[in-house]
Amino acid sequence: MSQTGASATHQAIDPYAAPRDFGPVRFLHRLNPLSKIVAPLPAMALLLFARDIATPLIFCLFVLLMLVIGAHLRARTLVVLLVVLPLVVAVMSVSFGIWADAALVGDSPVLVEAGPVRFTVGAWLIGLATALRLTAIVLLALIGGLTSTGPDLVRSLVQQLRVPYRLGYTALAAFRFVPRFGHELDVIRQAHRVRGMSDGRGPIAAVARTAGYVVPLLAGAIRHAERVALAMDSRAFGAHPTRTERYLIAFRVRDWVFIVSFWALTAGVFTTAAGLHAIG
Amino acid sequence: MTDDRVVDPGSVTENAPAPIVRVQSVSIRHDDRAASTPSDVTFDVAPGEVVLILGPSGCGKSTLALALNGLVPHAVPAELTGTVTVGGMRTADETVARLSERVAMVFQDPDSQMVTGTLLDEVAFGPENLLVDRAEVLARAEESLRQVGLWERRGDNPDLLSGGGRQRLAIACALAMKTPILVLDEPTANLDPAGIEEVYEVLRRLVDTGDHAIVLVEHNLDAAIDLVDRVIVLDAQGRLAMEGPTRQILINRVDELLRLGVWLPVALLAALRLRDAGITLDPLPLTPRELTTSLDAQDALPTLASSAPDSGVSPAHPADTTGDPNLAVRVTALDLDRGRTRILNGIDLAIERGSFVAIVGTNGAGKTTLLQAIAGVIRAPAGRIQVLGVDPAKANARTLARTIGFVFQNPEHQFIKATVAEELAHGPQLQQIPVDAIETRVSNMLDRFGLQELRDEHPFLLSGGQKRRLSVGTALIDGAPLLALDEPTFGQDRARASELLSLLDELNAEGTTVLVVTHDLQLVAEHCSHILVLDSGRVAAFGPTAPVLASDALESAGLRTPPLARAFREVERHPAWRAVTRLSDLPAGATS
Repeated sequence: MSQTGASATHQAIDPYAAPRDFGPVRFLHRLNPLSKIVAPLPAMALLLFARDIATPLIFCLFVLLMLVIGAHLRARTLVVLLVVLPLVVAVMSVSFGIWADAALVGDSPVLVEAGPVRFTVGAWLIGLATALRLTAIVLLALIGGLTSTGPDLVRSLVQQLRVPYRLGYTALAAFRFVPRFGHELDVIRQAHRVRGMSDGRGPIAAVARTAGYVVPLLAGAIRHAERVALAMDSRAFGAHPTRTERYLIAFRVRDWVFIVSFWALTAGVFTTAAGLHAIG
Repeated sequence: MTDDRVVDPGSVTENAPAPIVRVQSVSIRHDDRAASTPSDVTFDVAPGEVVLILGPSGCGKSTLALALNGLVPHAVPAELTGTVTVGGMRTADETVARLSERVAMVFQDPDSQMVTGTLLDEVAFGPENLLVDRAEVLARAEESLRQVGLWERRGDNPDLLSGGGRQRLAIACALAMKTPILVLDEPTANLDPAGIEEVYEVLRRLVDTGDHAIVLVEHNLDAAIDLVDRVIVLDAQGRLAMEGPTRQILINRVDELLRLGVWLPVALLAALRLRDAGITLDPLPLTPRELTTSLDAQDALPTLASSAPDSGVSPAHPADTTGDPNLAVRVTALDLDRGRTRILNGIDLAIERGSFVAIVGTNGAGKTTLLQAIAGVIRAPAGRIQVLGVDPAKANARTLARTIGFVFQNPEHQFIKATVAEELAHGPQLQQIPVDAIETRVSNMLDRFGLQELRDEHPFLLSGGQKRRLSVGTALIDGAPLLALDEPTFGQDRARASELLSLLDELNAEGTTVLVVTHDLQLVAEHCSHILVLDSGRVAAFGPTAPVLASDALESAGLRTPPLARAFREVERHPAWRAVTRLSDLPAGATS
């Protein structure tokens, strides 16, 4: 019974799903997970300081193009990226725009006026820039996120960055805890409701209720972790400084090419944007 | 299968039994306990031998198992005196990692033994840690997975396997370590009957190959006993009480074993009961098959007193009793969905007051959902369920608590207060009962469940059995005449399970209606008045225990007939005895 519950939640997202190869066009799947993190990092950092619309917009379009061509995506993910995301950007641009400092905008055509509140084109553009900035950063993170698996990332951390494998593989084993604890939390919540702990509304009652879940959840978690540790020990985990790697995650020339071109592109976009800004 | 095995120098010496496991004067004291269990235990295991460790709960069987691969004392905070030698290595001098080349372990909970994402990675995990080269890792993985019949599923996530499947995977992981010694600590305690069967099929094949010395800690002797060459029995203090060939110990010293509180195969228990009634089966049977054979060898058996009234086993109970005051629960045309899946499908049910009903079925049959709907834990459509005049779908929490007490599988989940007394007082406080009346109630309940001395203890610090009693106490304190329990014996040893069932028997005798979801059918057979068999969300059978057990309802719902019923059903020469399903059906002797 507990098993069925756990597996039901787990079936949806399998963090361990085997890495797959989708051919040379879907090139992102063939890159090392680390290079897909390292390559967009400078762009993500620099975007935090961008204030214009063009820079994040270029990155958004560029990453979208790269994902659509270079990644094997499920139809649902595609719809989210190509339809839902623009809508979210539109909504965010309005809501961020409302919060924009009116002094920054100066004289600007009014779009909507409701009583004392005036929503100007200038405010909307500020909102749009913020929304695009956030979206671009998220998209850049998705390059690695949508095309590498957890185990592969751990393997390359161990193989390329020399992270101790004990740490890496323990973290990987801990992935298994997540659906288990999720299920356990559901049961605890149910049990507490049956005992009449659901009475009381408002934030204070909610905090008290949540605090009540912590003890049983932790007690179960610690016991489970101890058992997992014993089972791993008895299978010689940590016996030697290294272990046999059946999956070698290579760091190839193509990874360097990807990183260097991405950095070059980033530099190009930012210098051009800065130049344009200086002129304008 | 044996041809391509790497020959281990330790496992081919059939005729020169230099012991591969040597336990000498071993005592183990956990850091937080005063006494040592086990205490001064000595025994050997020969290569290829199958040894079963028996003993009452708390005697240190599992601790002893953990000492065999060095987890005690290296990973578990405990002090070990004496020496354990496995395959020539003294465990005290070696790391657990080194010892894992000699001894492989299988633990009770399959979930806590899984660390990777696919079956293949899982089996490869151990050898990889030992720096076995890649080709050999794959060869070992394939061989081990094939041995447990899971090679075809090597790409799956272990979570997709059933409980029995995952435990078979754990065995494959142990086999991949290529050790001459295999230790299994309660490998079937968390499994349903189908899972137990799967695991023992695998173990039987392993024993037949004779490649491993196997040390087994197991309560379920009905499944294990015919695999075992030798038993080692510990007493309650953890001392070595007896040791010898299985049959010799179990049969010749059966009275001592009973006194020690060791669980015995049900076939043997049945024979003992018959012996007390003057029917001597010789030799005493250990397995259901032997019981059948020795009964058929008897020329005459006395007539059974009064076999249970053959009242109706009905696919659906007659529904002409609306508003009957004798009914505790009535369910009419109940459908229940979770998401898009239909869990319960047209359930009709009438449960009389004072009955003790077991709800059984395979995983996913809807047992827990039905119980939770009856108890109002999950909301059913209104108007479908009546519990003593209350519709749990509409009742508020307070009314519900007065009507039905619900006990979760893990008692810890439902503890919400900092002391035992407050835990019990919580229910009556919600009912807004005067303070002194609450105190009387709490005090009575503490006495009733033997928890008076622990009233100021934190519920989480109680022992397992005490936690279980407290959880039953909290469910009953609002005076609910109906008690519902979800898998209360899951993952527990036999002693604790039977302690709980005796408690339920007492409550039931006092008039409490008891509903219990379980997969332990022999226990059910001994205690319950009625069985409700669910199959894919429908009632497959509902009726008094004996006729349901005697019918083929269990098997057609994918369950297994409990061992005793199986043994008697196959008796040929004494047709009247075929209906026997529980020990209490047998003629009682002077002493029992």
